[in-house]
Amino acid sequence: MREESRKKVVLLLRWAVIIVTSYLILFAKGKVTHLDLGQILVLIYIATNLALTFLPKAYFFNPKLFYSLVIIDTGIVSLGMILSERVTIDFYLAFFLILIFASMSRNFKLLMTIGGITSILYGILLYSWGLFRSENNISYILRVPFVFIMTAFYGYIVQTFTAEKRQQLVTSESKYQSLFENANEGIIILRNPGWQMDAINREVERLTGYERGELLEKFFIDLFRQEEREQVVAYLEEIFQKGEAKTDALSMLRKNGSPLEIDLSIKRVDLEGESFYQVIFRDLTEQRRLEKKIRQSKRNLEAIFDGMRDRISLQGPDFQILRVNRAVVDYHQTTFLKLMGRKCYEAYYQRSSPCERCPVATTIETRQPASSVLKIPEGDMTLRIFSYPLLDDKGQILSVIEHTRDITEEQRLQEQLIQSEKLAGIGILASGVAHEINNPLSGIIGMAEIILEGEDPSNQESYLKDILSCAQRISEIVNGLRSYSRMARGKDLDQVDVNTVLEESSKMVRLAIKPSSVEVIKQFQPVEKIRANGGEIQQVFTNLITNAFQAMGGGDGRLVLSSRPLKDMVEVKVSDNGRGIPEEHLSKIFDPFFTTKSPGEGTGLGLNIVYRILTKHAGTIEVESKEGAGTTFTVRLPIWREK
Amino acid sequence: MTNKKILVVDDEEIIRKTIRIHLGKMGYELKEAIDGVDALKKLGEEKFDLLICDILMPKKNGWEVLKELRSNPSTKDMPVIVLTAKTRDEDMFRGYDLGANYFMTKPFTKSQLFYGIKLMFGEA
Repeated sequence: MREESRKKVVLLLRWAVIIVTSYLILFAKGKVTHLDLGQILVLIYIATNLALTFLPKAYFFNPKLFYSLVIIDTGIVSLGMILSERVTIDFYLAFFLILIFASMSRNFKLLMTIGGITSILYGILLYSWGLFRSENNISYILRVPFVFIMTAFYGYIVQTFTAEKRQQLVTSESKYQSLFENANEGIIILRNPGWQMDAINREVERLTGYERGELLEKFFIDLFRQEEREQVVAYLEEIFQKGEAKTDALSMLRKNGSPLEIDLSIKRVDLEGESFYQVIFRDLTEQRRLEKKIRQSKRNLEAIFDGMRDRISLQGPDFQILRVNRAVVDYHQTTFLKLMGRKCYEAYYQRSSPCERCPVATTIETRQPASSVLKIPEGDMTLRIFSYPLLDDKGQILSVIEHTRDITEEQRLQEQLIQSEKLAGIGILASGVAHEINNPLSGIIGMAEIILEGEDPSNQESYLKDILSCAQRISEIVNGLRSYSRMARGKDLDQVDVNTVLEESSKMVRLAIKPSSVEVIKQFQPVEKIRANGGEIQQVFTNLITNAFQAMGGGDGRLVLSSRPLKDMVEVKVSDNGRGIPEEHLSKIFDPFFTTKSPGEGTGLGLNIVYRILTKHAGTIEVESKEGAGTTFTVRLPIWREK
Repeated sequence: MTNKKILVVDDEEIIRKTIRIHLGKMGYELKEAIDGVDALKKLGEEKFDLLICDILMPKKNGWEVLKELRSNPSTKDMPVIVLTAKTRDEDMFRGYDLGANYFMTKPFTKSQLFYGIKLMFGEA
């Protein structure tokens, strides 16, 4: 039977008892002497049950109600029997109804008491009517113990049922106890006055560090830090009014004095007319620590983002500006709000469509990082723009990070570096070549002295021819130097013949670094002119040829210079059979300041300058080398195309 | 007149020719080599009283010739004049470090050459 329907069942049973009793009083055959009284009794009986219908359900769980009802009903039924003077064969059935309904109190003792009283009362009534002496006396005598036996039997059933129910209750209670004890959240049960703790679970002990005994002696408020207690009191008052409240900004104090950050919810629970407060809290210390760390790192990242001198702008796939750093705002002399939501090309460059060679557009299309260098005529600026994609889980573009760096100064410095290295190179070369003049000069001086001494006039012609040839050699060297330095001075892009540059560079290097046993083999094919700064290309080949000569040392060597057309490029190879480059150095040779020469012999900038110049000319360089066998540098440069 | 034997090594014919004519008049016996390897070969074959040595030469340069000369007991005390187009101070220091007795730079005059030779033979 469900507990909620208890009231209904009690009322129905009583109606049944009332109907049976009323029938016996009002309609049973026999001598009815006090009919008026009988009718009044029936009305009273009905009235009591009507009154019961208005009683709240909770009262039907009170054993006292059942004591009262059983006494009243026993009295009324007994009175009914007396009034109707019909203590006959069927009347005792009414007692069973009373018993059944008494059994609902689930009290075995009460049931047996009622059974006993009913049996005795019935016995007295039967006796007073003289039925024990009638011809059916055996039947009447047996009814008395039968009522008691039935009560006992019924009582036994009720007892067993109640015991089982109690067992179930115990089982389910221990289940709930276990859930309560092992919950991952701290649970405290409070009975409101004074907020003393009635029950706590293990998690409360673990979180606070107190033992159960210590906690049960404490007041709830004692768990909080002194400075937060006022806040807790205000919060508890809210619970009084609303029945429940939540907060996530409180901290308790552990037994060891360390703070315990918690979120807390308190709910009022009404149980059988009593109010309890269920407090549930979770340890947020770690979460708070992480939150603090995240907040801090977010602040740091924002500080870095806004502190960067480079401009960073986040654009959607439709080029709409989503976020920019301070450098962008400062550069465009505007505000964050004025930039948000506008297309980047409109806001930054006052255009109606994306810029040419825009890396953001490339990234949107390819979903790959991209970069490009833009020359901005206003202010003669050079910008390098990098763009990186931000993709969602499915690999679709969410947004693009545009990173703009002003490389005007960097470009200028690089130009300066190339220029100064070029001048230094010419200086070294010129001094090497100048030494070379000293040989023919010695010949001129020597021969002139011999002629002046006037000895052996027959040989004079030969001496004069020697002087002439020495002078011609000097003239050649000077011319070579002049044309070399003229080309080196050039600053603008021009049509350059690679073969001429190779020829002159190798001649100069050969003169400057003189072990003349190196055989220079030239395999030049006719090639188209390239678009280049002649001086810089000359520097590339001079550096490569110088390195080749140096790699071959003073010994016999073979330098092969070759050129050939290759699609839209000109390919030049500079090969030597010198000592070669160790494999572990190959990846570093183009790095600035990488050198294997002794201090003073090389700066380590030569190949780096070569690389920079070629990159600037949209050219490439590759190296192949084998230790002890030689090295080949392959340079490719784009040919001149009229725009 | 003297019978001193001098070896001149230089890859430039015009230099060798100039020295040949100058020294021929002085009565020195002169032999010529055209590079470092040639010079060391000739030094191994016969004994010379003086070596006039160029630096920038194919096959073996003057520095290497000097080094080998000084490490060989039979030639380690032989006088050597370095005659080079290299005019920097550090080249001169290097020459003396490697055991040169006199350092002359090109271009040179007859009297400069004679002074150097006499200095080597203790006649200056």
